[in-house]
Amino acid sequence: MLDAHQLVKHFKGVRAVDGVDLVVRPGERVSLLGPNGAGKTTTLLMMLGAILPDSGWVRVAGHPLPKERSQAMGEVGFAAGYLPLPERLRVREFLHMFGQLYGVESLRDRIGTALERFGIAHLAGRLGTELSSGQRTLVGVVKATLHRPRLLVLDEPTASLDPDVARRVRAGLSELCDSEGTALLLTSHNMAEVERLCERVVFLSAGRVVADGRPASVASRFGRSDLEGVFLHLAEERPAGAQQTDRTA
Amino acid sequence: MSGSSWTRVRAVARRHAFVLLRSPHRLFDVVLWPLVDVLLFGSLGVFVARQGSGGSIACGYLLSGIVLWHVVYQAQIALSTGFLEETWSRNLLNLMVTPLREVEYACGVALFGMVKLVMGVGVVALTALGFYAFNVGRLGVGLIPIIAVLLVVGWVIALFVIALVLRFGTGAEALAWGILFVVMPLSGVFYPVAALPGFLRPLATALPTTHAFAAGRSLIDGHGMQWGQLGLATGSTVVAGLAALAFLVLMLGTFRRRGFVTRYS
Repeated sequence: MLDAHQLVKHFKGVRAVDGVDLVVRPGERVSLLGPNGAGKTTTLLMMLGAILPDSGWVRVAGHPLPKERSQAMGEVGFAAGYLPLPERLRVREFLHMFGQLYGVESLRDRIGTALERFGIAHLAGRLGTELSSGQRTLVGVVKATLHRPRLLVLDEPTASLDPDVARRVRAGLSELCDSEGTALLLTSHNMAEVERLCERVVFLSAGRVVADGRPASVASRFGRSDLEGVFLHLAEERPAGAQQTDRTA
Repeated sequence: MSGSSWTRVRAVARRHAFVLLRSPHRLFDVVLWPLVDVLLFGSLGVFVARQGSGGSIACGYLLSGIVLWHVVYQAQIALSTGFLEETWSRNLLNLMVTPLREVEYACGVALFGMVKLVMGVGVVALTALGFYAFNVGRLGVGLIPIIAVLLVVGWVIALFVIALVLRFGTGAEALAWGILFVVMPLSGVFYPVAALPGFLRPLATALPTTHAFAAGRSLIDGHGMQWGQLGLATGSTVVAGLAALAFLVLMLGTFRRRGFVTRYS
């Protein structure tokens, strides 16, 4: 579904992403983890064609980037907790616009179903400025799932949500992935959420993949009881000392 | 353009229609400034006309000039502020990760920009008629190719502005409005370029707008269409358009390579 090979990216002389390989198979749920500055968002944006890698290549659903970006993005849904909603659009209009960009048919019905899935049908007539940050995030997730993408890419989707809403998002995502076979690639700082939602985790540190496997397997490789322990370990470690890779899962 | 491309173009145009509807201050560009411009240049023309010899022609130059200038202004402002709206609302990344192609986006914004242009130029033309009994329609069908050239020039200037904003970020936003204040006096909107200081004339002659406005003044003078001027205007517009596209593609490449999208997310 997603195939990224040896991605490298420098910013102002700093190697932000340093030879990242990542494959996400159809229906697979993968989390890209790592401390702040590890290169997660840059890696995601290269996989979405929004940033060009200095070297390496990306294929999405068999479409090479950037050459077939438009076709590739038709197979992908993206939402990020930090992206606002355009202020001058109502939720329904915002979703209608993106539905049209993705060529969704029976758009009105699809919007209704997607809003119901995440329990926010009552927000359809609200303007972006009238929503809380959590509600905006939810609408962003609905937008990302509207066209039934084969790959859903979410950058910190539950960062601004209270535990109850975050649980609803996880339930909605699980239901979507189970029913539609959607592959999931997400970043999160909530390790418990990742363990519940994803079958595989990829840890980045200083732009490199330092662990790749099932959550329990990765935790045990680092001698920790859970992913939070691995995360804290990597955050404290000097990058050069964190080059342990587990690709056995 | 395939059906799905057309749907995406319409989606972008519809989004910008909502922006105008929900942002009353945007109506300043299409209603208030056109009205103020006609009032300013129309009254100036009337004053000059009352001073005696040759003054009456100045009134026609000023009013036809401002009507035609608003074609450039509205086309440019609609496209460049349409793009800026995506940066202000931090919607760029959302758009970049959809199937929307850059050309479809530009067509969508330009399509709704045509609505704004009709509104803005309509206000200018009707105000000139109502306040000063100046009917721009009396210039005849020769206006059509002149307006077409000025429309494209407006888009070309907008592409340059967008390219600079992609490269330099919000610091280049001021150009969306400011660049027109440079182009306007150099284009001989209200006077022949012979009235400019000598050292500026070569620069003025290189601008497509200069030749389009010269053709417009010929219509006002009753000398008919100056096809040579129109040809120069068209040719230089094509050259400027190709240069703007090349520059935009270059800056878009820099934008993607240097990860500037993160400025807006």
